[in-house]
Amino acid sequence: MSENLTRSGIDLQPVYGPSAPSADYQEQLGDPGEYPYTRGTRAYTGQGWIQRELSGEGDAKRSNEQFKYLMDLGQTGLDVIGDSPTMSLMDPDHPLARYTVGTQGVSLCSHEDYRQLLDGIPLDEMSVSSSSPSMFMVASLYLVAKERGISPAALRGSVIEWPFYSENCSYAYKMPFDLHLRMSCDVIEFCSQEMPRFHGFLEDTYFFSEAGLNAVEEAALGFVEIRHIVRTLLERGLDIDSFAPRIAILTNCSMDFYEEIAKIRAMRRIFARMMKEEFGAKDPRSQAVNIAVHTSGLSLTTEQPANNIVRGAVQTVALGLAGVSALEISTFDEGYRTPSKEAHMVGLRTQQVVDIETNINSVQDPFGGSWFMESLTDEVEEKVLAMVEDIESKGDPAELVSSGFFKQFFHGTMGRFHHQVHDGDVQKVGMNVHQVPAEQDTLLRDISEEKIAPLFDRIELLKAFRAGRDQEALLAAFQRLHDVVQSDENMVATVIECTEVGATMGEIAGILRQAWGTPYDPYGYLESPLDGAR
Amino acid sequence: MSRIRVLVGVLGMDQHELGAVGISKMLRDQGMEVIYTGCFNTPKSIVATAIEEDADVIGISSHSWEYLYYIPELLDLLAEKDLDIPIVLGGSVITDEDAATMRARGVAAVFGSGSVVTDMVDTVRSLVAGEPAS
Repeated sequence: MSENLTRSGIDLQPVYGPSAPSADYQEQLGDPGEYPYTRGTRAYTGQGWIQRELSGEGDAKRSNEQFKYLMDLGQTGLDVIGDSPTMSLMDPDHPLARYTVGTQGVSLCSHEDYRQLLDGIPLDEMSVSSSSPSMFMVASLYLVAKERGISPAALRGSVIEWPFYSENCSYAYKMPFDLHLRMSCDVIEFCSQEMPRFHGFLEDTYFFSEAGLNAVEEAALGFVEIRHIVRTLLERGLDIDSFAPRIAILTNCSMDFYEEIAKIRAMRRIFARMMKEEFGAKDPRSQAVNIAVHTSGLSLTTEQPANNIVRGAVQTVALGLAGVSALEISTFDEGYRTPSKEAHMVGLRTQQVVDIETNINSVQDPFGGSWFMESLTDEVEEKVLAMVEDIESKGDPAELVSSGFFKQFFHGTMGRFHHQVHDGDVQKVGMNVHQVPAEQDTLLRDISEEKIAPLFDRIELLKAFRAGRDQEALLAAFQRLHDVVQSDENMVATVIECTEVGATMGEIAGILRQAWGTPYDPYGYLESPLDGAR
Repeated sequence: MSRIRVLVGVLGMDQHELGAVGISKMLRDQGMEVIYTGCFNTPKSIVATAIEEDADVIGISSHSWEYLYYIPELLDLLAEKDLDIPIVLGGSVITDEDAATMRARGVAAVFGSGSVVTDMVDTVRSLVAGEPAS
């Protein structure tokens, strides 16, 4: 397959550029794989992107079956999301979790869950990208690898760090910002030492940009968070090149075709310059950031679900042209649920059709040098940098989180989006333009509206599991964790110890909060196991 | 005449606030008083706030199937306390079939996907005026 031919036999070069590169070209663009990586972080491979679809529903066993189904369909990476209690560090037997266990993602809380989730998955070959809370995914992934005789150093994949925006955008930890930031930094440091191929720091701009943000706002807020986490790690005395090669970004992709391509090109350039010039990174891998994408759920509609398939395909083409490292399409049933089996197949097949049938990967950064695209990339970059500067000029970003600045910002963008759709400034076919009566809107409706029932029996099973643990070992581990949180020591190793003796995520999170001087259960239902022991 | 007071909230672990924030803004723009309770509410907390704030209408926004369980609990609790505060439920996850079930159970008005915001505002007004929701 060394040939790179069009259907008519025209031989394509893997990348096109000026015959005599000017200084301006080198400074602003560079060839793919060259600083400032505007045109891509790697020289041509022709391999395209990692193709995956968001998965996770019910319990770990059911989600493991989803993984295997997707792998059979040709998925090349895993992407898993927890249900809403899991995403908020809450065990399924918490009273507030009751009606939602396993319904919008997989319910995970103990090491046994992760064992089942990852059963039979070739962890030394398959990358595992997880949206579930990073510290717990890393702890169990590390343990599962060791149990199977795989070196944790061989693990690939990513976990998301979101201390800035999770409280306000769907994944509330109910923790003080400083504690959440400490957890993130501990995970990043631990991964850089023990799991060097694994991205311990995925900056996720997807979930918070679904609060109605535009591309510039999305990128700017992402960089504000990246910069603060990087500064915090440097203050710990870490070398920038010890962790920066494993920073990656997960962005959104709306239907604004050209601007989304420009955004990704601009973000690569901003990241490269920031790392090199501001943070002094010398390793080229620290300057070249992999960007993965999850296409926008907000761009989809519950009206005429089949239209969403077209939206996913268009977004996939945009991202193929932008050159991304991995991709997940929000599926046609997104308005109602996490992807159904049918939607999984359509999402993956969409990626495969674009990848295999269109020759899209034959040439890298095909828009490079376009007057329009370069101008748009420059303008997006300029606006993003100005917004980052503006936010940082308002004070310490950490203070801005605590003072509610971002919360207010998100409420503003949510209200704005509502108006835009209502007033027709944002046009959506089938929703506010070219609508059809309900009786005609039947295609794929039955699949989209099918519900996933909450797993009430899992609550009982967990109670039995709790009772069967070595209570003494558990208490000792909790006490040790409590002490570690109050020291400067990295918490991850102790969280792994707790996980090994059967501690659940909710318990560990509670101990962290308690050691920080805040309530064990922020919702006021549960008591700390440490309180009973004293 | 005093301003209409609407309590707006999201139930359980549902943390999708886009709809709740959007509708709150629309209601305020229409001159109503919105008591915004955000996420992590339970039927108990909603009823307590509704009493404390003397709410005329309870607006629940939902992007999770949790409402199927919480709304009946909320209705029972209101009945138990002998409170006659109409509930307006909105959310794109609500199917036509479930909307009918919810109305039959006692929810005053349900707005599923494809609903028009101005209809919601008008409905809140008619409910407070004692007219049946259209």
